[in-house]
Amino acid sequence: MPRSQMNKPGSSSGPAASGRSYTLAISSFGVLLALVSILSTSSAIAQTETPLASAWRVTSRLGYGPTAATALAAEADPRAWALQQVDAAYAASRQAPVIPQEISRFNQPVNDITRDFRLEREARKSAREQAVAATPLAPGMQPAAALPEGFSREMQQTASAWRVMSCSDPVMENPLLARMTEFWFNHLNVFIGKGTVRPFVGNYTVNAIRANALGKFEDLLLASAHHPAMLFYLDQAQSNVRGINENYARELMELHTLGVDAGYTQNDVRELARVLTGWTVNLPQGEGFRFAERLHDRGNKTLLGRNFSDDGMREGEEAIRMLARQPATAKRIARRLAQTFVSDKPPAALVDHLASTFSNTQGDIRAVMRVLVTSPEFWRTDNTLFKTPLDFACSALTAGGGAKDRRDIQLTLGFLAQAGQPMYGWQTPDGYKTDAATWLAPEALTRRADYAVTLGNRMAEPTYLQPFFTAASRDRIAREAPNLRTGLMLASPDFMRK
Amino acid sequence: MDTTDLKVFRRHLLMRTGALLFSAAMPRVWAQSAPAGAKRLEQGRLVILLLRGAYDGLSAFVPYSDADYYSSRPNIAIAAPDGSNKTAIKLDNTFALHPALSPLLPLWQQGVLSFVPAAGLPVPNRSHFAAQYEMEIAQGGKSSAASGWLNKVAATGGSSAACAIGVGEANPAILAGDASVRLIPRGQAAEKTGVLANDKTRQALLDLYAGNDKLSEAFRQGAGSRMQSAQELSSEKAASEGRRTMAAQEMVAREPAMRDRKLDRDGTPASAQAQNAQMVAASNGAADPVGLQLDAQHLGTLMRNDKSLRVGFLSAGGWDTHANQGNANGQLANNLGNLGRGIAQLRQDFSEPGDVIVVMSEFGRTAVENGTKGTDHGFGNAMWLLGNRVNGGRWHGQWTGLARGNLNEARDLPAHHDYRGVLAQVLRDTFSLPDSAMASVLPGARWDNRLDGMMRRA
Repeated sequence: MPRSQMNKPGSSSGPAASGRSYTLAISSFGVLLALVSILSTSSAIAQTETPLASAWRVTSRLGYGPTAATALAAEADPRAWALQQVDAAYAASRQAPVIPQEISRFNQPVNDITRDFRLEREARKSAREQAVAATPLAPGMQPAAALPEGFSREMQQTASAWRVMSCSDPVMENPLLARMTEFWFNHLNVFIGKGTVRPFVGNYTVNAIRANALGKFEDLLLASAHHPAMLFYLDQAQSNVRGINENYARELMELHTLGVDAGYTQNDVRELARVLTGWTVNLPQGEGFRFAERLHDRGNKTLLGRNFSDDGMREGEEAIRMLARQPATAKRIARRLAQTFVSDKPPAALVDHLASTFSNTQGDIRAVMRVLVTSPEFWRTDNTLFKTPLDFACSALTAGGGAKDRRDIQLTLGFLAQAGQPMYGWQTPDGYKTDAATWLAPEALTRRADYAVTLGNRMAEPTYLQPFFTAASRDRIAREAPNLRTGLMLASPDFMRK
Repeated sequence: MDTTDLKVFRRHLLMRTGALLFSAAMPRVWAQSAPAGAKRLEQGRLVILLLRGAYDGLSAFVPYSDADYYSSRPNIAIAAPDGSNKTAIKLDNTFALHPALSPLLPLWQQGVLSFVPAAGLPVPNRSHFAAQYEMEIAQGGKSSAASGWLNKVAATGGSSAACAIGVGEANPAILAGDASVRLIPRGQAAEKTGVLANDKTRQALLDLYAGNDKLSEAFRQGAGSRMQSAQELSSEKAASEGRRTMAAQEMVAREPAMRDRKLDRDGTPASAQAQNAQMVAASNGAADPVGLQLDAQHLGTLMRNDKSLRVGFLSAGGWDTHANQGNANGQLANNLGNLGRGIAQLRQDFSEPGDVIVVMSEFGRTAVENGTKGTDHGFGNAMWLLGNRVNGGRWHGQWTGLARGNLNEARDLPAHHDYRGVLAQVLRDTFSLPDSAMASVLPGARWDNRLDGMMRRA
């Protein structure tokens, strides 16, 4: 990536648009990719981004980097391709996802997971009781993997595997839908370190998040509010009229909707917690969600000046819809989207534009995304973004044709954990940060190289990427033996930007 | 009233009158000027351990003589000291230590461990994220471009070499800023050089990142510091394994019975006695270095080897105990146990005269237990101080108990002391920062003379 130009407004940020001349390059498909000869690096004249650079931008931001096929399609007409992705992602979100049969159990109905989770807990309890009296297992003897005790772990591992696969294979999952699933999961984060959340993360990802990822924001929020993953994660399942727990109510306003500076008070937090009493999980009877009337506080509550009283579960639904429709919520979502897709410090005009679209369409995420990808800010070359560890790993896998096998998946999950972005592993409800200030750290960059070289040894050379690289990088990489070339491509500075 | 009570009473009296006199007489922001010609960073070292998620200070330092503590927390209070390991450990007539923190008791007894029981943000903020960020940049409001205050401390060193090191987090806000900083990952990953170990690969990567842009510079810096970190940590590991082997051999020599111990084919000692002896030898008297402990060890090694590193940062999470917090046992107790072992490990490496360790958290938890045997977001909390120059074996600052009328909004411990007042005392003592540097590191903070005496004079 245009190394000498990181801080130069008006200079291009996309690959293949650095201030150097290009010679012709030939992709692996034998297609001649046209090149641009460009001005000297000292030029301050704003450059029009080349279609090639735009193709890098759209495939890397509205997905996890180009495949040979998406590179070609996007380059042909980047703007049309971007808009088309929004509609394609929406359409895909209305369909069930592709999940390989052998890992599909994580997506079984939520009540089945609830039931199996109860069985797991009972099995663990009786195993503990037996262990007190029983003699130890003979040396080398392992407990069978299919025992119910392994249920939560299996759910977590298979869901994580699916995330890696679906974020690195545009044929399996629409790339923008994978991105939006990541975005909203992160916005409505839950954490597998909490035992009760663990078996539910995969189902939550698919049915609460993915299904609503380009729909109406309030439907997404309500789906999250009804899901055992969220009910357990922020302790809502335990809150009741006799003993309030404020955790979910607070984060619902602070993180999911209004934002911390929106002017609500501690009293609003308290009142919202009262409104939501009774929203719980019925583990013994295998119900993922249950409104327990007798646990609900039937008294009068006032949230943000509005009165709620004795209307059962509808109080909570109305309160959540009300929060979803606040201008502060529109602003907060708009800002987060702009940070994810455009720039760490997005232009205020863009945020305002997205926020007004959000408000005018009653939180229609697809409409907001259409405005985003057609905005001039999305295409401005000085709006640069640096890949997060997840971006980086999934784009590297994509270059190799997706996660091929268990080892690719293990390698990737291990890298993510070490890089500080473990899959389903962010403990607090604010979700991962996405900015360069967080992820562009010296020693961490060298660890990306470890992953790149190890993965590179396992895949064919992605020669179709060469035109996206600067001439200097291409020449340097070409000097190495084939087995190192792929790793160096994935580890190069060119590959770190999106 | 016994002598300790009298001392406490006298201290409070002194503090109150002192505060009055001071605020009337002193227009200055900072009470003392820094000694002229001080060497700044070279004279001390500071480690900040941030407990993210708001730990429950009322379980760590238990106000066991306060009846309100027990009535506020019917299920989660730590029982008053009775000498058993199920109850708190008496520190003085006001506070007792959580039993899981027993590894720290010797430090209290040696007079190097102290705490300020009710410190916090100047204005309550019950958002974890907003409050943590505020504590990391040491100022309120939304200064999204602000540098972390530890980075600013490092910058006062005026050196281009890194003066600060962080273990564990990708890029914490407290260390973000202009001064260069070393960041290493959690756990054993920090001991590995990876592909940089291969000369050919390393050279190719350095060539790819040969530019003058920020990304290339960061990569080259990272490659250099990673090689160094991994080398130092792995040689330290080898050395400590060597020491363990020697210790085991010495033990065998001391106890002839051990020579005849029977081993299984896989080397496991047959008798329980032999097994125990091997375990003691293997751990060199310490528990297994896991989690925070290993990170603390890494921090200690790197700061020992690189004398330009004067500032260290560590963090630990998992403190947000809204439900089923537990008491002498349970989730909080387990977490405190790890913390106690981690801090004991840190102390081994940070026991030079000028070393100080500060443990802090974004806010405290409600004084009153909630409906799910946990605690919600509160306000004031205990800040810990550890070091030879800390006036330890006693606590500092104001404490007004848990009577409802004395709580913030009738629910939280008040923050009698701005956390920056505590940090100012430490920074002044450790690095002799002059007023100009103090004003930059802790913008808008004031000297809190009620805490004077918290540090011993050098």
